[in-house]
Amino acid sequence: MAAPRRRGGLIQVEFSDDELCRRIAERDANAFELMVDRHQARAYRLAFSILGNEADARDVSQEAFVRLYEAAGRFDGRARFSTWFYRILVNLCIDQQRRNRWWKRLLPLAGPGDNPDEPAFDPPSDEAGPESDAMLNQSVRRLRPALAQLSPQQRAAVLLQTQEGFTSREIAAVLKCSENTARVHVHRGIAQLRKLLRND
Amino acid sequence: MAAKHPATELVPYLRGELGVDRRALVEQHLDQCAQCRESAESATAILSQLSVAVEAVPAPDWVAYRADLRRKLLTARPEPVDARGRLRPSMFRMPAFGWPSIAIGAAAAAMLAIVLVTHRGSGVQTPGVDQLELQTDIGSADVGLLANYRVVEHLDLLENYDVIEHLDELAPGDRQNHEASS
Repeated sequence: MAAPRRRGGLIQVEFSDDELCRRIAERDANAFELMVDRHQARAYRLAFSILGNEADARDVSQEAFVRLYEAAGRFDGRARFSTWFYRILVNLCIDQQRRNRWWKRLLPLAGPGDNPDEPAFDPPSDEAGPESDAMLNQSVRRLRPALAQLSPQQRAAVLLQTQEGFTSREIAAVLKCSENTARVHVHRGIAQLRKLLRND
Repeated sequence: MAAKHPATELVPYLRGELGVDRRALVEQHLDQCAQCRESAESATAILSQLSVAVEAVPAPDWVAYRADLRRKLLTARPEPVDARGRLRPSMFRMPAFGWPSIAIGAAAAAMLAIVLVTHRGSGVQTPGVDQLELQTDIGSADVGLLANYRVVEHLDLLENYDVIEHLDELAPGDRQNHEASS
């Protein structure tokens, strides 16, 4: 349903994701642009968090939008649009990871954070700034390589929960598993992160 | 301390996902179990660090991103839709490689099999007159080389790349001597 919204004296009509999806199925280019506007940042961020690099995150999130355009007619509105779309995105991320693993076995090129001999923490930043910011940056940088060590399902489950605020039931819908399995993925993912960060 | 740790329910509890009954049970367990309290505290810390990590993801150049996406869309093949915007039944839709590709592949395999069988059959044919002449020429050339086997053997011994590379540096007299000796 379209919800009217007042902005700068003009009343703008804001379409729901379901309505936009229906219009995309009818090949409405404006609807597609609106949908990409609405979801591109979140989709890219989730892909980046799962895949860990910008190039793959860009390609995979774009591919998810292409799939959305191609298959919008299949969305029947029974599930939430975000669940449906993130299922496409997460599946693409997991496929991409499998491909990356295959390539990395053949071409073991070390990327940043891949080298186990590197110190697990970054040296103190020269930039002036609050100490708390530096500590946060440090913990964030320690988290990324730790996240990379989780299984694809665990990583997706943990990130869907923290990043998208998905409930266990929604994570289960994205990963096509039971709610209990989704909870196990989250629990094991966080336990593994805790273990890895303690060992640092 | 309760016998069973509600390990997989700790995060749903922290996020307020549990129903009233389950929530009460987890709270009761946490009151009694130091191990689960510690797990819940560290899970809270990790979840908050993860939410910060998410915020720290570098944003791409969105203009370039959208241009790239439009280019990819142009090369994408939208699935057929009916008048109501619904996809047509996909039961008979061709897979990515398509039935024509399968037919072409089968035809190519059949052609290859025919060529192989024909070729194998022609192996016992007697050569034509032109082919015989060519074989005679090649044979005599081989015999000529064998007749001068000593020269060939000597040339083979000269196959020293150091010597070959520095032939130009030899003095004219040396080169003549070298040629005469060979």
